[in-house]
Amino acid sequence: MPVFSYLAYPVQGAKEELFNDLSALDYCEAMQAENKEVLILVTDTPDEKTEKALQKQLKTLKSLQSLGMTFGHTDQ
Amino acid sequence: MDITRRAFIKTAAAQSAVAAAAVLFPGISFGAWKNLDTSSGGIEWKKAPCRFCGTGCGLLVGVSLDRAVAVKGDPNCSVNKGLCCVKGYHSIQILYGNDRYRKALVRKNGELVETPIQEALDLVAEKMKETIKDHGKDAVSIYGSGQWSIPDGYAASKLFKGCIGTNNVEANARLCMASAVTGFMTSFGLDEPMGCYDDIDHADVFVTWGNNMAEMHPVLFSRMLANRKTKTHVKIIDFATRTTRTSQAADKSIIFSPQTDLAVANAICHEIIRNKWVNEDFVEKHVSFRKGKTNIGYGTEDHFKFTDKEETADFREYKAFLQDYTPEKVEKISGVPAKDIKYMAALYGDPDKKVTSFWCMGMNQHTRGTWINNLVYNIHLLVGKISTPGNSPFSLTGQPSACGTVREVGTLTHKLPHGVVANETARKLAAEIWQVPVENIDPKPSYHTVEMFRALDRGDIRFMWIQVTNPMVTMPNLKRYRKGAQKQGRFIVLSEIYPTPTSDIADVILPSALWVEREGFFGNSERRTQHNEQMVPPPGDAMCNTWQLIEVARRLGYEKQFPWIREAYIEDIWNEYIQFHDNPKHRMASYKELKARSGVQWPFVDGMETKWRFNPEYDPAAKGDGFDFYGKPDHKARIWIRPYEPAAEFPDNEYPLWLNTGRILEHWHTGSMTRRVPILHKSAPASYVEINPDDAGALGVTNGSRVKVSSRRGSVVMTASINGRGLPPKGMVFVPFFDENHLINEVTLDAFCPISKQPDYKKCAVRLERA
Amino acid sequence: MGESDRKLGKLFLVFAAICIIALPFIVFSAISYEPDEMKVTVIAPQSRAFDENGDAVFQDYDRIAKEYLQGTSTERTLSEYYLRREYAGSPPYIPHKLEDESETEIDCLTCHAKGGWTEELERNTPLTPHPEHASCEQCHVKMTTEALFAANDWLSLPPPRLGRSYLPGAPSPIPHDLQMRGDCIACHVGPGTVTAIRVEHPSRGNCRQCHVPDLFDEPFKRK
Repeated sequence: MPVFSYLAYPVQGAKEELFNDLSALDYCEAMQAENKEVLILVTDTPDEKTEKALQKQLKTLKSLQSLGMTFGHTDQ
Repeated sequence: MDITRRAFIKTAAAQSAVAAAAVLFPGISFGAWKNLDTSSGGIEWKKAPCRFCGTGCGLLVGVSLDRAVAVKGDPNCSVNKGLCCVKGYHSIQILYGNDRYRKALVRKNGELVETPIQEALDLVAEKMKETIKDHGKDAVSIYGSGQWSIPDGYAASKLFKGCIGTNNVEANARLCMASAVTGFMTSFGLDEPMGCYDDIDHADVFVTWGNNMAEMHPVLFSRMLANRKTKTHVKIIDFATRTTRTSQAADKSIIFSPQTDLAVANAICHEIIRNKWVNEDFVEKHVSFRKGKTNIGYGTEDHFKFTDKEETADFREYKAFLQDYTPEKVEKISGVPAKDIKYMAALYGDPDKKVTSFWCMGMNQHTRGTWINNLVYNIHLLVGKISTPGNSPFSLTGQPSACGTVREVGTLTHKLPHGVVANETARKLAAEIWQVPVENIDPKPSYHTVEMFRALDRGDIRFMWIQVTNPMVTMPNLKRYRKGAQKQGRFIVLSEIYPTPTSDIADVILPSALWVEREGFFGNSERRTQHNEQMVPPPGDAMCNTWQLIEVARRLGYEKQFPWIREAYIEDIWNEYIQFHDNPKHRMASYKELKARSGVQWPFVDGMETKWRFNPEYDPAAKGDGFDFYGKPDHKARIWIRPYEPAAEFPDNEYPLWLNTGRILEHWHTGSMTRRVPILHKSAPASYVEINPDDAGALGVTNGSRVKVSSRRGSVVMTASINGRGLPPKGMVFVPFFDENHLINEVTLDAFCPISKQPDYKKCAVRLERA
Repeated sequence: MGESDRKLGKLFLVFAAICIIALPFIVFSAISYEPDEMKVTVIAPQSRAFDENGDAVFQDYDRIAKEYLQGTSTERTLSEYYLRREYAGSPPYIPHKLEDESETEIDCLTCHAKGGWTEELERNTPLTPHPEHASCEQCHVKMTTEALFAANDWLSLPPPRLGRSYLPGAPSPIPHDLQMRGDCIACHVGPGTVTAIRVEHPSRGNCRQCHVPDLFDEPFKRK
């Protein structure tokens, strides 16, 4: 049951849009910084397979410029 | 994975991201998630005494959701003022080993099988009843610990001594503090140090007697170094049988041959008298002289009995006795140059210097442990350097509540929470508070620890409940006691948190709640009682030791004596217990007070702690002018005439080396907790044998060679350490005892001090071979 | 009284005499507290240079002024520190000239054993962790050219990463070997040190009570 957290950087001016995109995805929780152009993303997937699928999905988001991982936990 | 753990990990994940963002974007804020504000990091800090040694450092445990996640030193605690040692800083990791006991286990056909805890408790009670019915009440016993929280020990004493009516209550503190207790009782009539840690800030000279404080009491040692640094004239003298980190830091390191501290202490007194450094006025007013039996044996045989005979002596007789202990004569047996003995005497004798002596296991684990405690008090009493700031003979403890639970609650065969079983008034007081018939309390002590395990071997004891200790690593001459415990018809119950060699002999294992997983109290070396609340839930079925005892007591029919409810039993027990000490000599703080403060020192009278006992300036129980040693009927302390007598076993042709055993900084006792802390294990993964480079050369071993250490009782093969953590002198080897995979106690001897019954782990004869 | 009796009598007298002469010895050894097997020779002071010369920390802590221990500066950076070394733990190059104005060679230890500000180089001098070794140039050499004789494909492990504490706020373990580098104060305390590895609590005198080596990877296992 993998848990990861990231700093998510939106493409120019798309913070709100990125927040909406991330919040719409399954297994994702997003938080906006109030005063900076960055978000926090926490993912919590039930297994490796879902995790991989989710990561693929994240890569397709247009509003997302890049992700920096800050925490990782997998049971095995 | 359970929900709370998952939630915890997600919180940690989010916290990491917030922390990373804070570094990249100073001033960033995430208004959406209030409890993740970076300044507190979502952590709530709660106070607890450290779980390890007897120093009693105040910790602040950081709790996030239901997990302990961080530790810092409690700046409000006067013991450590915000500093810890490496064990303290990582202490909370002892809660989270993967092999924690979460379920009760019952041995069925040789295998430990998971069992619902209520069923296991039924079995324990049933076995106790059956054993009492078939073999009498003195066939059941409890063996507890100086790591017992105060309510644990109190409940055990009440159940066994008050309700069942057997004095088969002992604790592992017998192996660590018994000689300190008998030393205090014979010299002062009251247990526990007169001084406190503030002495460290006041003293000009420190003498460590066989006490490697740099590793065993590191926080106090640092305080000593800081004092020396600020005052420049402060001197530290390390008087020991082996060169250690403490010797490295000391201004002078003096090495003596094992057991001869007795002779050196007498020689110091001889010099003090010869040079007329005696504080005549103090001795005249506050001291009387005593002598006892000599040639008192070593207790290596079963049923060994000894009672000392106290006789009055006088100063003239004492002076005549000391004629055998000139520094020149003592040099010949101790190996300590006469000039070094004279130097130590001059430090103690200098009227302008405040002197603090520290000791711990070196003096207590000694076949003449009571005597050497007496002899060091003699030095301080002769020069009147006692019970004033900086003048302090200070007996340190090794366990967090050896004082609080074992010595103060009296969880030893001869003791009650107040007084001894042999005393009728003490029995009456206990019976009244416990609400049991006074006839229940047996006036005759039964077995001290070594004899209790011998009785288990012989079959006089059939049932033993072991809580919070690991005797299958710590008993000396271990093989005999392991075989004894494994005999047919013995039933061993173990309250534990992790599998240990003691688990291997247990018939029932009850999973225990550990430290901050339950509410409790510890009592440290300086008469300080410290409370901790329950901060996190125990894992699985794990249950507080006190509650385990209550559950079994009720099954045995003692509902009336154990009426407490789960929500408030710790507070209720505290309120019942402190009735025993409700007098100015030992009054303890209220539950409310202890909850609020980072420890309170007793006697606690009219809202005031007592820092220096027996001194009317600080101690409300002391009366009159100067000093009042009110522990004795004549209000005088005792100087004891105690000779040097050799060790129970010493090197000979067949076994030509001394074996000394002890602890190291990283591991605490048998390592059942510290070895599960990653950093501590990584730093010190296995035990080893320290060999002097000359002896190693003669044997042809180098650092890291495999060596077999054998005695008349057993042997162990381990790695040689040369110029490692410590440096034993030629003719001695040293082995840390924490490692269950290298059981050095199969090699040690079960000789003990005939007065305190505490075994000597520091001296026996061994030989080395290449393996 | 016959001849044989007289002989016996003499023999008895001799025996009695021996007894009288021997008696004090027997009595003395009986009351003496000093059994023969326990006789020992004077134990000479032992070397304190064990435990990776752990005594150096205690000595420096006591010897060096509080003000120095608390000194800070930002002159040296971690990357500069590692650039002077071929790998973490190797002896660094000498980055400055070795003669004074009069062209006489300076003894390294005059500066590197006590630290402090140097006018000439306008920075704080780092302390050596092993002042007991006086033949400095056996290991430390001056770099006189940047060029290599022949190129190589040298690789080593990266230097230990910082912030390795096992718990938030817990003391970090010692990530390096202690041989020749057992004196923590030399590199981690005072103005001559690199900011990134300087400790914030130089008033604590027993470093290794909290910082322990992190050397082995296997977790604890019961046999």
